[in-house]
Amino acid sequence: MLLAKTLRSSTFKLAVICVAVFSAAVFALLGYVYWATTNYVRSRCDRDISADRALLVQAYRNAGRGELVALINQRIALQSFEPGIYLLVDPSMARLAGTLTSWPGGLRGVQGWVDFTAPDAAGHTQLRATYETLPDGSHLLVGRSLDDLDPFVGIVKTALAGGATLTLVLAAFAAVSITRRTVGRIEAINGTTRAIMHSGLGQRIPLRGTKDEWDQLAENLNAMLDRIEELMREIRHVSDNVAHDLRTPLTRLRGRLEKAYHDELDPERSRALVADTMRELDAVLGMFSSLLRIARIEALDPRGTLAVVDLDRVVGEVAELFGAVAEERGGRVKFESRGTVLVNGDRDLLFDAISNLVDNAITHGGGDVQVTVHDTDEGPMISVADRGPGIPFEERKDVLKRFYRLERSRSSQGNGLGLSLVAAVTQLHGARLELQDNGPGLNIRLRFDRRS
Amino acid sequence: MGDPHRVLVLEDDLDTAAQLVDCLRTSGYTVDLAYDGDKGLALGRRADYVVMTVDRMLPRVDGIEVIQRLRKEGIVTPTLIISALGEVDDRVRGLRAGGDDYLVKPFAFAELLARVDALARRSATGSRTTVLRVGDLEMDLLTRTAHRNARQLELSPKEFQLLEYLVRHAGQVVPRAMLLQHVWDLHFDPMTNVIDVYVGRLRRKVDSSGAYPLIHTVRGVGFCLRAPG
Repeated sequence: MLLAKTLRSSTFKLAVICVAVFSAAVFALLGYVYWATTNYVRSRCDRDISADRALLVQAYRNAGRGELVALINQRIALQSFEPGIYLLVDPSMARLAGTLTSWPGGLRGVQGWVDFTAPDAAGHTQLRATYETLPDGSHLLVGRSLDDLDPFVGIVKTALAGGATLTLVLAAFAAVSITRRTVGRIEAINGTTRAIMHSGLGQRIPLRGTKDEWDQLAENLNAMLDRIEELMREIRHVSDNVAHDLRTPLTRLRGRLEKAYHDELDPERSRALVADTMRELDAVLGMFSSLLRIARIEALDPRGTLAVVDLDRVVGEVAELFGAVAEERGGRVKFESRGTVLVNGDRDLLFDAISNLVDNAITHGGGDVQVTVHDTDEGPMISVADRGPGIPFEERKDVLKRFYRLERSRSSQGNGLGLSLVAAVTQLHGARLELQDNGPGLNIRLRFDRRS
Repeated sequence: MGDPHRVLVLEDDLDTAAQLVDCLRTSGYTVDLAYDGDKGLALGRRADYVVMTVDRMLPRVDGIEVIQRLRKEGIVTPTLIISALGEVDDRVRGLRAGGDDYLVKPFAFAELLARVDALARRSATGSRTTVLRVGDLEMDLLTRTAHRNARQLELSPKEFQLLEYLVRHAGQVVPRAMLLQHVWDLHFDPMTNVIDVYVGRLRRKVDSSGAYPLIHTVRGVGFCLRAPG
């Protein structure tokens, strides 16, 4: 099973290609070594033969054939360590001197090189020689035995063949074992993925603790699964809440319409009823839009969305706009800023988010709101502070969830989506949302990264 | 510009189309209706409409594509895009394709009418005058001051901008979303009634020193600035 997977795996194919390329390189190298070695040995042999011959021919020219015969005999007698091959025959091919008994058959011509097989006095059979016809018509052959060369070439051959085989075997072994390891790790990830598809998001890919790239991949996938699980939980939570929050006003609407259907209504009352119904429907539609809007913001890609925005201006406009609302409640929106503060952002979304914060602060905080834009050491910051009852510490994380509403504000206007939108916009901007005590009241801070 | 009362409606939902046509006819427009993009293109090429409303998603040829093709052919009929896709990027895509305004389903018919009216009258407005007058209200656009009955009004820059927009569209119903779009450059529908409160404050400043009210609220839609008579 695993073997079949190994052979099918792309890692294995890659490894095989690597092995092939590597082996070709090794073979080429070994082939060259073999060729160079034998060539070197042969050319040395040829050089020795040429030198020997030159000496003999010199002697012949200087002192004639008698001297040559004497010299050959002398060399044969001396050559205990360097087995030379010599033969001198007269024009009728009768042997005059040398280690060979007769002129090799088929060897004709004035001069040349030859490799041939013939037993000599010392028992060598593989011979190489140069021959020539001397001016008086006799023939001289000078050579060396190649028998000593063969074992040497043989050793080189064996060594090279061994090396090549070892290379192939090791490379094949490495290819298979690397592939098996890769396939094994991928198989673990695949297994977990299949298990997740079948049974649910509870499973995680096991880590080996090696901190290698496989572990990192597994860690990232696990983190992704964590996030998906969290989102799924959130979606479940949201759909429960949507069902609940929509069912309540829709039930109310239906009840009212049903009653109107059975009652005898005068035109004025029926108009009022229709107006109320439309208002409630608008609220339901508004909730839908808000939910969709939050979902869309969460799905936005910051790179395509964000441009340079002046927080001072945006927040100032929000403060001015909501000043009217605060005044209506007998309060004031105090805006404090020390000039331009640039961030990467989306003006519409920031306006919306800050509007929500200021609106919340006015509605729940009793009217007086302090809005501040600062360029702090850690980066740009917006602060919206009120003097209202604040949010209990243990609920501060929950208020960012969709539809979450504090117990005391359940009866008041709102759908519990405002801070979810703020959270979504904050996340899109890579900013941090801090909820702090204002003693008394709530101080919400949005901290941005400095523009790079 | 063609017949000042002729409107082209591109809408594939039969009920919505019937309601649209009914609403526009009641207000004195002559309406041509197309249920798909092909027919819409054919009718749109006649180019004698004062306004056309285009549903974002149409059978055969997509609404956005209809607008793009007509624009490419040099037809500049002011166009209101109507869509169930309400998010900012869809609006931007629609407006970039050549739409002049954008309305999200579901909508109040009063708002639709206000927007069609605004588009129909667009060519008539936008003069280069520096002083605007409606009744006894006078706005000097150079000094950025406003007077009513010769008494100067204390307005913030945004309030001045808002009043200017209302004055420029005097006699027309201006929906909330249009105010947000043109005065605050915002392209989303606010979840609160902040605009009403803000306009309410402006109304107190403008109308407290006048003999008669100028700024009126049109229930469920927006506002209208008009002098009596």
